Amino acid sequence: MVPPQYYLLLSAALFCIGLFGILTRRNALLFLMSVELMLNAANINLVAFSNVWGNVTGQTFGLFMMALAAAEVAIGIGIILVLYRNFDDVDVTKATTMRW
Amino acid sequence: MVGIFDFAPAIVLLPFVSFLVALAVGDRLPKGGALAGIAATAGSLLLAAATFLTVAGGRTYDATIYTWAEGIEAVDLTFGILIDPLSAMMLLIVTLIAFLVHVFSLGYMNDEGEVGLPRYYAGLGLFTASMLGFVVADNLLMAFMFFELVGLCSYLLIGFWFREPGPPSAAKKAFLVTRFGDYFFLVGVVAVFATFGTAAFSGSGSFPALAEAALHGEATVNTFGFAPQTWFTIVGLLVLGGVVGKSAQFPLHTWLPDAMEGPTPVSALIHAATMVAAGVYLVARMYGFYALSPDALAIIALIGGFTALFAATMGVVKREIKQVLAYSTISQYGYMMLALGGGGYVAATFHLMTHAFFKALLFLGAGSVIIAMHHNEDMWDMGGLKEKMPVTYYAFLSGSLALAGIFPFSGFWSKDEVLYETLIHGLGGSPVLLAAYAMGLLAVFFTGFYTFRMVFLTFHGEPRTQTASDPHSVRWNVKGPLAVLGVLAATTGLVNMVPVEKLLGIGGIDFLHQWLDMSTESLNAHHYGELIPYSSAYIGGEATTVAIGAGVSLGLALAGAGLAHLLYNVPEPVEHTDRLGGIKTLLYNNYYQDEYQVWLANGVTRPVARVANKFDQGVVDGVVNGVSSVSLFSGSRVRRIQTGVVSNYAVLLTLGLTALLLAFGLLGGWFV
Repeated sequence: MVPPQYYLLLSAALFCIGLFGILTRRNALLFLMSVELMLNAANINLVAFSNVWGNVTGQTFGLFMMALAAAEVAIGIGIILVLYRNFDDVDVTKATTMRW
Repeated sequence: MVGIFDFAPAIVLLPFVSFLVALAVGDRLPKGGALAGIAATAGSLLLAAATFLTVAGGRTYDATIYTWAEGIEAVDLTFGILIDPLSAMMLLIVTLIAFLVHVFSLGYMNDEGEVGLPRYYAGLGLFTASMLGFVVADNLLMAFMFFELVGLCSYLLIGFWFREPGPPSAAKKAFLVTRFGDYFFLVGVVAVFATFGTAAFSGSGSFPALAEAALHGEATVNTFGFAPQTWFTIVGLLVLGGVVGKSAQFPLHTWLPDAMEGPTPVSALIHAATMVAAGVYLVARMYGFYALSPDALAIIALIGGFTALFAATMGVVKREIKQVLAYSTISQYGYMMLALGGGGYVAATFHLMTHAFFKALLFLGAGSVIIAMHHNEDMWDMGGLKEKMPVTYYAFLSGSLALAGIFPFSGFWSKDEVLYETLIHGLGGSPVLLAAYAMGLLAVFFTGFYTFRMVFLTFHGEPRTQTASDPHSVRWNVKGPLAVLGVLAATTGLVNMVPVEKLLGIGGIDFLHQWLDMSTESLNAHHYGELIPYSSAYIGGEATTVAIGAGVSLGLALAGAGLAHLLYNVPEPVEHTDRLGGIKTLLYNNYYQDEYQVWLANGVTRPVARVANKFDQGVVDGVVNGVSSVSLFSGSRVRRIQTGVVSNYAVLLTLGLTALLLAFGLLGGWFV
């Protein structure tokens, strides 16, 4: 059996890639993809622990979160669409009207 | 049982209703609301007379009408009615004079074509109602409230002709000066509540009774660490502040001469029966309290004696007839204070009564003269009015004889008793009273002089102007009140002929003494006589002292009147007061009291206020503003992190999470 540390390392790497994407990218679509990566990092954790404990609850939650992620993407793309309509761009650093 | 006392509230409420009527529909009523006022005061007068007769039957009344603030384990604040011989007598005087003033106003205001009459009659109605409420008040707080209402009404009425420059300023002055005194009164009321837990005037639980018991060690009251005697003196003097303001005693008398800017009937009401009388009445009402404090009594006597003399000297040089009367009022109230301070409770009440009649008479007489002179008040423009207006002349003469204290007019009896009481108590070992007596006695001479200077200049000699030789005629509504008051001014002295009783040994003609003795145990004159801290002594015997006192004061009054006769009862009088030179200027400018008070305001109060303002603006506001500007400034800087760029928020979130993890790690020892 694969020891859980490997899963956790994979999940941490995936999370950091997602975080890196969010911190460095300006395109809103890439933002959304990075967020998906981070979510899936969490999913890996859930499935890994579920496997370690021999308990399917974690996997159930993993499936649940996939559905949730799909819904979230739908909303996220909707927001990006509105962003594009209002600013003619999907660059997140351009849309700075909501500040002091 | 429905007795007359159940109608006592109506005495107060009737004029109040006339106030409401005049205010609401006065412009649609004939005579601008005058008839409502006359009807109301006539009703009050009848009820007051009925009450008076019932009290004469030996009954008194003290009841709480309405509790407007119920105390939980504390004092109740109530409105109540106290009717005893003193208040019954005062009710009669006030309602009678208010009624006559209303009738006179028909001639002085309506016939002269004044505008704003509903406002005038509303003011008169409220003024009368306030004073009546004050008179029947059975506790100090209620008295204070009506005292303030009286002050408000005087403000409204003195400033009746508000479109001219003088009256509004005089009204403001009257209000502010009396307010200054009332401030002390208010502190005094609170002190009475805090000390005794009650402010009732009568009964065994009243504050004078408690104070008396406390002095004898039979009751304990909260005296705030002072000896009871000292503390009662302090409280008495605080309340006295209001009295000095309202009764126009030195140094708060300056508002009264200016108050002559109001309509003359109002002056009559203010001076005779309401506003100014309120102060003296208050001292008489709570005399059981003042009588316990020799220091307070001595101060009252000194203020009174000094004011009597001080005001009389100023009256000597005035040119306007109403100004002379104004100073005579201040002087006469000085006599009442002298009597109260000198232990002459009955004498003060007596003088309050006779003065009410003869001063109302003199003011209404002056009003009649002013109508005749087309509203010129300068006595040097008059002269020779005697033949033109005989009713006014004889009524005015009756009032003047009473004011000057000439036998047998009312003023002689009351002023003589005032001076006599002060003299015997002074001889009994009180040099302060003797000094006050001397001032009062000297003032008699000046009173005689200025009174008859006024009479001779106004009515005798040759007319000095065209108006004076062809005066405007006056009607019944002016002559009627004058006639009534003229008779009263001549005869009311007969209710208390103490000198005759003492000299001739006829017992039982000191009716006023008997009358004021009929009150309940703690409120009657006999009880006050036992309380006062004076003993009596006589020159020779009692009768001799009476004879000497009466003789000296009558002689001085006659000397003053005689001097006035010599100087001014000539066809072409000249201003002899010019010979006084610098003194005349001093007197004519009222001893520069106004200037001195303006200096006090400008030279002392204003710099102090400016410093206080600086402190307030600089230090107090500075701290508050400093705190707010610090948070405003830091807020304006801190909000810059809200850039609107999502990436920045993500950076902050990440850094925050990292910092949190690091902190947990370091504190939790993960790295060891």
